[in-house]
Amino acid sequence: MSSLRARVDPHLDIDLYDADADLMALNMGPQHPSTHGVFRIKLFLDGEIIIKAVPYPGYLHRGVEKLCEKLTCVQITPIVDKHDYVAPMTNEQAINVAFETMLGVEVPRRARWMRTLLAEMQRVASHLLWLGTFTLDIGGTIGGGASVMMYTFRERELILDCFEALTGSRFHYNTHCVGGQRHDIPEGWAKQVRDAFTHIQSRITDYVEMCDGNEIFLIRSRNIGTYDADLALGVGLTGPNLRCCGIAHDLRVDRPFHAYDEIPVNVAVAEGGDCYARYVVRVAELKESCRLVLDIIDGIPEGPISSKRGAKSPIAYKLKAGLQGYTGIETPRGELGTYLIGGGGQRGAAPYRCKLRPPSLHAMSILPWALVGHTVSDTVAILGSLDPIMGEVDR
Amino acid sequence: MDELAPDTRAALHAKFPDVIPAEGDVDSQGPVVPADQHLAFAEALKNAGYRLYISCVGSHWPAAGDDEEDRYEVATVLRHPDDGKVFWWRVSIATSATVPSLYPLFGGADWQEREQFDLVGVVFDGHPDLRRLMMPEDWPGHPLRKEYAIDTPHAPWR
Amino acid sequence: MTEYFMHPAIHALVWGLPIASVLMGIAAMATWWERKFAARMQARVGPTAVGPFGLLQPIADAFKMMQKEDIVPRDADRFLFNLAPVFPVFLVLATAAVVPFGGYWEDGKYKAWMLAADLDIGLLWILSIAGLMVFPTWMAGWSSNNKYTLLAGMRAVAQGVSYEIPLVLTALVAVIATGELSLPGIIGWQAENGWLIWRLPVLGLVAFVIFFAASLAEANRIPFDIPEAESELVAGVLVEYTGIKFGVFMLAEYLHTALACLLAVALFFGGSHGPWPLYLGPVWLMLKSAILFVGIYWIRWSWYRFRADQLMDLCWRWFVPISLALVMGTSLMVWAGWL
Repeated sequence: MSSLRARVDPHLDIDLYDADADLMALNMGPQHPSTHGVFRIKLFLDGEIIIKAVPYPGYLHRGVEKLCEKLTCVQITPIVDKHDYVAPMTNEQAINVAFETMLGVEVPRRARWMRTLLAEMQRVASHLLWLGTFTLDIGGTIGGGASVMMYTFRERELILDCFEALTGSRFHYNTHCVGGQRHDIPEGWAKQVRDAFTHIQSRITDYVEMCDGNEIFLIRSRNIGTYDADLALGVGLTGPNLRCCGIAHDLRVDRPFHAYDEIPVNVAVAEGGDCYARYVVRVAELKESCRLVLDIIDGIPEGPISSKRGAKSPIAYKLKAGLQGYTGIETPRGELGTYLIGGGGQRGAAPYRCKLRPPSLHAMSILPWALVGHTVSDTVAILGSLDPIMGEVDR
Repeated sequence: MDELAPDTRAALHAKFPDVIPAEGDVDSQGPVVPADQHLAFAEALKNAGYRLYISCVGSHWPAAGDDEEDRYEVATVLRHPDDGKVFWWRVSIATSATVPSLYPLFGGADWQEREQFDLVGVVFDGHPDLRRLMMPEDWPGHPLRKEYAIDTPHAPWR
Repeated sequence: MTEYFMHPAIHALVWGLPIASVLMGIAAMATWWERKFAARMQARVGPTAVGPFGLLQPIADAFKMMQKEDIVPRDADRFLFNLAPVFPVFLVLATAAVVPFGGYWEDGKYKAWMLAADLDIGLLWILSIAGLMVFPTWMAGWSSNNKYTLLAGMRAVAQGVSYEIPLVLTALVAVIATGELSLPGIIGWQAENGWLIWRLPVLGLVAFVIFFAASLAEANRIPFDIPEAESELVAGVLVEYTGIKFGVFMLAEYLHTALACLLAVALFFGGSHGPWPLYLGPVWLMLKSAILFVGIYWIRWSWYRFRADQLMDLCWRWFVPISLALVMGTSLMVWAGWL
């Protein structure tokens, strides 16, 4: 098996593996409780060992890139919320930062600090959900995994309550605009956030114990779904999926955006490239982001929250025709990038081409390499550890 | 676009003098690379440390009157994982021509190029398995082309 | 040992019907209790709407399942498909026929009663029926004409057949130690000489742990529930089952778990033996089984599941050698007269 996994070619004709093998083709179909959304993988099995895996994304494709060609940035923002629907804040930030970079719009310091705070809060919420669903996949929807999920979701509710107090909605906020924020921090919000995150910080130790102290969790995640750094870089993995291979690349530190040039971040890196390493990285990020939130919440500077407050007309955000560029920010899943070409509909206020580069798509594309040689049970664990969100894979 | 390191710039200028000038600004929209040098350019950048494959973006530019043919423009974005610098370049071809695939260098080009083929219609030469990614296999047309109307009626799903 | 009214068949009917009904009732209430217990472990409340404290929830579940559409897949093997849910219930109740629910003292000897059939080879009967329990799961998997159920059914067979060995061997420990093959005999010996769990110094505890784990594996409970691995195989063997057939399968699973508890209690904890008078025998049995039940729920709702090959590894590389060692150790102790 190890020779198969050394560097398998995912496009090799299945007959070349073994002409006599009686392989069973199993569809882990679009409807499945553990594919993290509508996603299909065709597994060619020899007994329970996977010989070849062919993923089929696209079941949630909604044609957003075509839609963006006739929408201004104000209109695109609520749509990109629905891509990475677990971390909508960072989605909005990605598109708005892209427009701001292309337009040369300055974002006031208060807004940048708020964005950093919201991104870190969103990271904690997203990783809590990830931990819950990961243990759910390993342990069973009606079993030990469900217990961990209940606890992490309960903590996530605290964060969603904070977001609701700020923006008015628990999910899909539409609180970012070109030039800054739309909603300012209300009275008593700092205290609410501080209480929530102090509580969450104390609970993280419990979760780590429930996972690290559980033999079954360890044997089901160690040496599962391993890939090396070269493959990860070539495929385009970013975020925790890349940092589990030992590569300390984090856009918050390498290419600071928002207020990360003023706020130092400790990057979490692990070795091994297996599911356990990804777990270690994300738990470390959980702890780090909690600490960051508690640091930032007391230090947000005063000032305006938007430099283009009141500019309702789309003409204000018009990109020059033919102007193109790429901007990427670090979301809980990796690098979410936007490639914009100006000069589209609405008299130029919409982009000519808006390509959204989702981190989960690249995470999914490593599956033909990562799944070979493992069993069907491991498929779920590997999928879960890569933390994909189909909304952003398919757009 | 982030600045190229001086030694990277010198190496690239030596191999591709028309694309990367020795001094002055590199085109901030992404330098235009001829299609036949596309693979070599990517390899040179990868050897210079730009090993993180970010994305591949295809766009459709309809013929503007006196041009004979519609054009496709494919932008490839790479990042340097050690210092975080990003770099991209463009390849401009007529719609009947093909762009060499970057799959031999980057595994991520597999799905990215399939997606651009699916949605825009760019054909990548040398891709091991160029078929649709997002749309169903029997979908007619390429949705992100400019003449494809957003409210194109489609046959109901069987 | 026990008195036979008139005829063994009448005796079986007189005792068997109440015991079967009580067991079914216990299995149904076990679903309620599990949901409440799991809910409290997960900071929820569980069923509260139907009846006081949600006690009528199992009845509501049964009604709900009965009114659902009964679908048999087109190319499924109809006979096996329809037979598979009924089979395990029948097997478990047959096994439960030899478990004594009560006991009394007579001339200084403890006699167990309240059982439907007093077989001299009671334990052998139970273990052979337990061996048959693999069939219904496999039948369900095969007859559904579905790759997921096929995978699950194969896993179930591998798991069931493998874990029978430690099950039988550790039950054998009880047989060797007490010198009796029937359950009333084993319980009687324990009543006079002390429960096996401490009467056999270390071996008793280890034997109990392995017996308990092996019966969890036979009953397909987490951490051994790969045939039913919900997050991978979407309900595994039972994917194609709808309505009341699914309900009967679930009932069979809880019955099997209940039986495993009763058996473990009978073999290692003295069954219906307790410090007080004879009519409290069933109460003691229920109390001890309840404690084991809680253990089963606790394990289920805090542990993850093993992968198929890790499960086999656990059985063949750990449980089987240890059980063999236990058998040898117990035999040695009996031969040396240390017991």
